[in-house]
Amino acid sequence: MSAEVLEFNPVKKFMVDVQTTSGRGFTPEEVAERCANKIIAISDDANPAIRAQAHAFRGQILKTLEFYMREAIRSDRTTVSNTLTDAGQTELAKLIRKL
Amino acid sequence: MAFNGNFMCSSFKQQLLLGVHDFDASSGDTFKIALYTSSATLNASTTAYATTNETSGTNYTAGGPALNPVDPTLSGTTALTDFADETLSNVTITARGALIYNSTPNTTSVSLTNPSVVVLDFGADKTATSGDFTIVFPTADASNAIIRIA
Repeated sequence: MSAEVLEFNPVKKFMVDVQTTSGRGFTPEEVAERCANKIIAISDDANPAIRAQAHAFRGQILKTLEFYMREAIRSDRTTVSNTLTDAGQTELAKLIRKL
Repeated sequence: MAFNGNFMCSSFKQQLLLGVHDFDASSGDTFKIALYTSSATLNASTTAYATTNETSGTNYTAGGPALNPVDPTLSGTTALTDFADETLSNVTITARGALIYNSTPNTTSVSLTNPSVVVLDFGADKTATSGDFTIVFPTADASNAIIRIA
């Protein structure tokens, strides 16, 4: 009987993804997409019916994530705008609110 | 081309047996990710972080940012660990690859400084100009996680 060995799977099997932007940050849609991929991984080998169901669920999750990310951004802008107003930077505060 | 794939550094494998690395999310070591240009030569033989050919640019600090590790878990008979995606905000940089290294290793058994863990090849130069640069780690499962012991 052979003994079990400590085996390291080759790291070459995966590819780290890099996403970049220029002149802006990521949009809620882009971040939500990444988040959904962390929550739900759908195998190409899965049963077609289960795969379809998983894709539908992922779509719902994606929409929910996008909605609440926009809510968080809006809420944070209110906080930032108020902080700027309190500091006497009313024009900057206006700019932030208009974003 | 100086980058030719992703590698788990050979020295890292040995150091695991020496108890050098602790991936616990709350009380473990500090793991950082340094970005490099296409001129860098990083592979399985890389033993430690070095500044040679490291990326430079607006809002990027040499040595790179600290990663947020995820507690190691078991999936069946495979042990795995992961890092949260890392975003470098409002940077102007170009990078071809990266090195994850341990900046606070346990040196009880061996003397080390910034020992390497994993070499990452982005496949091509990636550029952010006054924008965000995000490294997205693979799904943390037995088949894809960045560090697995099967």
